[in-house]
Amino acid sequence: MKRYFRELSVAAALFALLAGLALFAPNFYEPAPLLSRFAAQAPALVVAIGMTLVIISRQIDISVGSQFGVCAVVAGTLAAMKLPLVVVLLASVGTGAILGAFNGVLIAGLGLPSIVVTLATMVTWQEALRLGQQGRFINLPPGMQWMGLSQVGGQRALVALAVLMVAAFAWALKNLAAGRHVYAVGSDAEAARLAGIHPKGTTFGVFVLMGGLVGLAAVMNIVQSPQVDPNAGGGLELKAIAAAVVGGVAVSGGRGNLWGVFVGLLLLATINPALTYLHVEAYWEKAIQGLVILLAVVADGLRSRRGKR
Amino acid sequence: MRKLFLLITTLGLIMATGCNKPSESTNTAGSGGGKKLTIAFMPKSKGNQYFITCKNGAVKAAADLGIDLLFDGPTNTDPAKQNEIVENWITLGVDVIAVACENKEGISTALRKAQAKGIKVITFDSDSMPDARSFFVNQATATGIANVLMDTAAQLCGGEGEFAIITATLTANNMNEWRKNIDLRLKEKYPKMKLVETKPCDDQKDKAQQETANLLGAYPNLKCVMAICSPAVPGAAEAVKQAGKVGKVKVLGLGLPSENRAYVKDGVTQAVILWKVEDLGYLTIAAATALAKGELKPGATTFKAGKLGEIQLQGSDIVLGQPFVFTKENIDQFDF
Repeated sequence: MKRYFRELSVAAALFALLAGLALFAPNFYEPAPLLSRFAAQAPALVVAIGMTLVIISRQIDISVGSQFGVCAVVAGTLAAMKLPLVVVLLASVGTGAILGAFNGVLIAGLGLPSIVVTLATMVTWQEALRLGQQGRFINLPPGMQWMGLSQVGGQRALVALAVLMVAAFAWALKNLAAGRHVYAVGSDAEAARLAGIHPKGTTFGVFVLMGGLVGLAAVMNIVQSPQVDPNAGGGLELKAIAAAVVGGVAVSGGRGNLWGVFVGLLLLATINPALTYLHVEAYWEKAIQGLVILLAVVADGLRSRRGKR
Repeated sequence: MRKLFLLITTLGLIMATGCNKPSESTNTAGSGGGKKLTIAFMPKSKGNQYFITCKNGAVKAAADLGIDLLFDGPTNTDPAKQNEIVENWITLGVDVIAVACENKEGISTALRKAQAKGIKVITFDSDSMPDARSFFVNQATATGIANVLMDTAAQLCGGEGEFAIITATLTANNMNEWRKNIDLRLKEKYPKMKLVETKPCDDQKDKAQQETANLLGAYPNLKCVMAICSPAVPGAAEAVKQAGKVGKVKVLGLGLPSENRAYVKDGVTQAVILWKVEDLGYLTIAAATALAKGELKPGATTFKAGKLGEIQLQGSDIVLGQPFVFTKENIDQFDF
């Protein structure tokens, strides 16, 4: 109970918000718009999984938004050429993995700080995308939207896929050797090395995985609309990092739980529609989101100080 | 060390005189002279299709008028980056700077500095403080745009009912100006219409889609969504389509015909409103050239803008003309 105090308090906050909505804006729970909202957040959830691994291993990746844009444009361009969805998906995941590997080589291989490396790649991919795409939308062929399913079917499939990914990764982090290595490297890389773990290999792998997940998320995003916006993905890094931090992943590495991140993202993603449904002015949205993140960081700080004493 | 200092000061002097002289001499002579003019052109963001179309017009004008065009700007809307680029251009010693300003107050200091160094400044699309530039190339006055938007919305809704606005950001200067004028028009002419909410979409289509979906759920009586930044128009349309409210909730907005064609043809979006964007870029460069050559002076009421012909001025505003309404009937005639 005490061990999961943080995750439970985030869940309590979410529950309070949902209860408030049930009371004051019951139409928030109309099934069709609710499903649409879940589907819209599914790609962000997949990115947040990768971000959680990155932060647990004591790194950060702020280039995911730009990676997302590049993958979306690659996927959209191939889809526009009428290639099958499988090819589009593989190409997008592959592109993401390559971009992630680029970060990984610089960070794990050369030992450069991840904040600087991913800042540089963030700007580089973004500019390259502007140059190549010039802001043009890509029109997708008709069969692409909802992967050929009905709208409701497609939305359900996307939500199921995202939740399945969380479950799979949560299980793997706990039960696979590679998963435990991520925690070990994040809490003490030197000790991990002495225990026979390869910290550089683990870090590299985490960044490749992050990129691959971004590639998947990009496809999950473009199938929800008939056009690809090359600016999609702006601000995604903040969303994913915020979900992880609010969900109880320690910024200092070594601690975190994917179900916590799941709840964290749900909380953050509920704030915006909740304000609309409660008829609150849009000006408050970002302030409230910032406040939630601040609370989470302060809670973290207090806990680590108490731990040291 | 001293030699270096001397070199720099002489270079500086040459540049300073080089910048001032042509404008003085052309005032009397009236011709461009031997040196090619350099005009620096900055959009709010380089990655936006709207500003790319603007740039295409600028490039055409540069070719027609025989000037050198520099094009640079922030990748995302970023006022600090705009200041930085202006500073670079001051150091470079260009002849004219033309800017679409993200932050009115923020950029004005840098622009005044440019003017003090003898560089001519004009703004387009979104203005700076009036004392920081000579002219503002106005795509259509704020009132003109707001009135067309509000009138079209009211017409689509039959003069009564709830509507909502999707904007880019709550800080964007030109959009706030439009919103103010929409409010005025609303109070003045359409007392039975009610603006329920204004939501920002950060200039992203997907965010506009989500915000519209939320609005449709939260305001079941909503009759119309008005999107006043270009990526928001297809975003709002997609949300209406997915909610199964095509025709019941009307969509209109300021956007590009190319991004909205499918929705307009399917009857999801009823009206797309825009001025001819390429002409805005063209007119900006034409005005900048005329300003540098001394053909366009404060107090002028008209000037000749290349292929666009005679253009009217209102005070220090160079006005492009009335906004244009793209509908099902005419949208196929435009390819930008």
